[in-house]
Amino acid sequence: MDKFIQLTLNGLTEGSTYALIALGYSLVYGILKLLNFAHGDVFMVGSFIGFGALHALGGSADPVVPVWLLLVLITLAGMAGCAALGVAIERFAYRPLRDAPRIAPLISALGVSFFLTYSMQLMFGAQQRDYGTFALSNGSLYLKGFNIGDVRVPILRIITISSAFALMVVLWFLVNKTRTGKAMRATSFDREAAAMMGIDIDRVIAFTFVLGSALAGAAGVLFALRVPTTATIGFLAGLKGFTAAVIGGIGSVPGAMAGGLILGFAEAYAQGYWDTRWSDLAVFSLLVVFMLVRPQGLFGRADIRKV
Amino acid sequence: MKRAMVLAFVLVVACGATAAALAKPSAKTHFTATQALNCKSTMKIAFVTPLTGAAGFLGNEQLSWAKYAVKTLPAKFALKIQLVSGDTPVEAGPAPAQALAQKYVADKKVIAILGPSTSGAVAASSQAYFDAGLAHVSPSATRTSLTKSVDGKPKEATPGFFRVVPDDAIQGPTDARFMIDKLHAKKVVVFDFQEPYSLGIAGQVEAFLKSKGVSTIHLSVANTVTDFSSFVTKVPSDADFVFFPTQTPPAAQTFAQQLVEQGKKAKVFGSDGSNNPAQFHFAGSYVSNFAAPVSLFPYNKAIIAGWSKDNGGAQPGSFGPPTYGAVQVLLTAIQKACAQGHGKVERRAVIRAVKHVRIKNWILGGEFRFSTKTNDPFNGRFYIFQIQSNGSYKLVQ
Repeated sequence: MDKFIQLTLNGLTEGSTYALIALGYSLVYGILKLLNFAHGDVFMVGSFIGFGALHALGGSADPVVPVWLLLVLITLAGMAGCAALGVAIERFAYRPLRDAPRIAPLISALGVSFFLTYSMQLMFGAQQRDYGTFALSNGSLYLKGFNIGDVRVPILRIITISSAFALMVVLWFLVNKTRTGKAMRATSFDREAAAMMGIDIDRVIAFTFVLGSALAGAAGVLFALRVPTTATIGFLAGLKGFTAAVIGGIGSVPGAMAGGLILGFAEAYAQGYWDTRWSDLAVFSLLVVFMLVRPQGLFGRADIRKV
Repeated sequence: MKRAMVLAFVLVVACGATAAALAKPSAKTHFTATQALNCKSTMKIAFVTPLTGAAGFLGNEQLSWAKYAVKTLPAKFALKIQLVSGDTPVEAGPAPAQALAQKYVADKKVIAILGPSTSGAVAASSQAYFDAGLAHVSPSATRTSLTKSVDGKPKEATPGFFRVVPDDAIQGPTDARFMIDKLHAKKVVVFDFQEPYSLGIAGQVEAFLKSKGVSTIHLSVANTVTDFSSFVTKVPSDADFVFFPTQTPPAAQTFAQQLVEQGKKAKVFGSDGSNNPAQFHFAGSYVSNFAAPVSLFPYNKAIIAGWSKDNGGAQPGSFGPPTYGAVQVLLTAIQKACAQGHGKVERRAVIRAVKHVRIKNWILGGEFRFSTKTNDPFNGRFYIFQIQSNGSYKLVQ
């Protein structure tokens, strides 16, 4: 039972990271019908920005601000930096191809992905960057928390999971309860009609990229608080985020959240109960199963074509 | 007329294709054995190492020492050497090593190869180098099967391959024996990362532990995994140690942290791939390595000071100094071959000379020479360190 609880906790932690990445995919796909394959690398850049901010604030051994403020600031730095990056990517890599055949922005996205990976590697080197979170408060983020049975739920995981969920709630509020969110939903439904109604499409699309990329940046920081980051983590993380978005229903915000959690649990249980060599197989097999059984995903709508 | 022109065109193309196929260079020597270099000319040593990817830290450290060695040593051997380097990221498999082998074989000025640094790259490219007569001396490839037959299978490397560090057949039993004799381990979890380095050494350790009656559990993890939380759940709560032969020290650090997070008592025992005090510094863990700290030997003081000055005051790690030593071996061999060739040197002469190299005041301690039976160091040994509470490494064996 303890193992099940631990694996569920692991799945919740990983799944909330995947959900944040998947949200970015879903938001962009909903508006532009574009699979932004550079999104995983925005997540990677976020982790590096967080690393830089951490060291600008004194590092984990001797931070100049209280630990809680340090964590908030580095997360905000990651979000802000990635938001700016997202806007730049949209402006220079996707906007010129908005009216081109669908494959053109897809190829551009792949190019941006590789560009980001190898630029970061060139600028910052190949070695892994460790936030040194264990050194923060002398390991208390790992060693203190509360217990469920004999399983410790450390403060770090509480922070990761609750931050991710808080961001998802904020996103839901933005999309469903604000004028900008209404504009986003209108653009997603029918871009031309939205434009005719006076909605500034370029601004809405840019804002969508701001939101999605900021979430990816937050995911990057939350991820790197627990495991080292390197310039090559973006590809697999992005692939898993994309898988989560598809499982949940690409274009659906609640679907992305659910898909991320499902993927996190699947990965954790596969790693914990099955052979450790096959966990990625289990995860991507889910993608195949969903494409065969329910291609629109859990919360997505099947496409209706008028004949 | 038009038909005749088309037919003529097709004929020309067919002849051209046939000629190209027949003229395809053989995999064998492109650089003939009689082609010798003038020892007074600038010759090249090509360094093949991972400069990018997860093991990039290792390659870059080694490259800094290779550059320092090539900057300071050739004049002492009356040689002019240019260092060139090629990248073999471990994630890319054997292909980059094979491509670089073709490149350096074809470069007439390349007189010897430093590396490859990784065992997989050696296995992939040794035949190409040997066929071209190129000696290749590695500062870090420790897989046993490169120079010794394992389980009746042929050696993976050729007689042109040499290494200046001992192999995993020494590291594995050394680590396992230490766990049993000094640490009294009763239950050990052994990991591998589904790539040649860890598979070899994990096998060695597991076999030795089992032969001495220690309970072992073997777990296999893809080397792309960075979050080990779910794998930690498979570590029994009564396990004493986790043998963790990763090539990325931060992975060892993360694993050690996650063991503590989940309340496991097992300590991490890392292999030489995890040896990096800046990145793996979890107190109470153990690490083995093929080199003792070079600062232990007073005659290295000037070398360390000079390298440190060239590298922004950095402190020597454990992968760099063997690279310096490997360059020293190559230069000694090239000098010998030049003397024997009366001012001219052929690639194969360097291979013959490397085998007989002897170096006093070896950077890794003592005197260096190759074993008479294999192309491994004579009397190579591994060292074990315990990580202290301040993150420093204390030599315990």
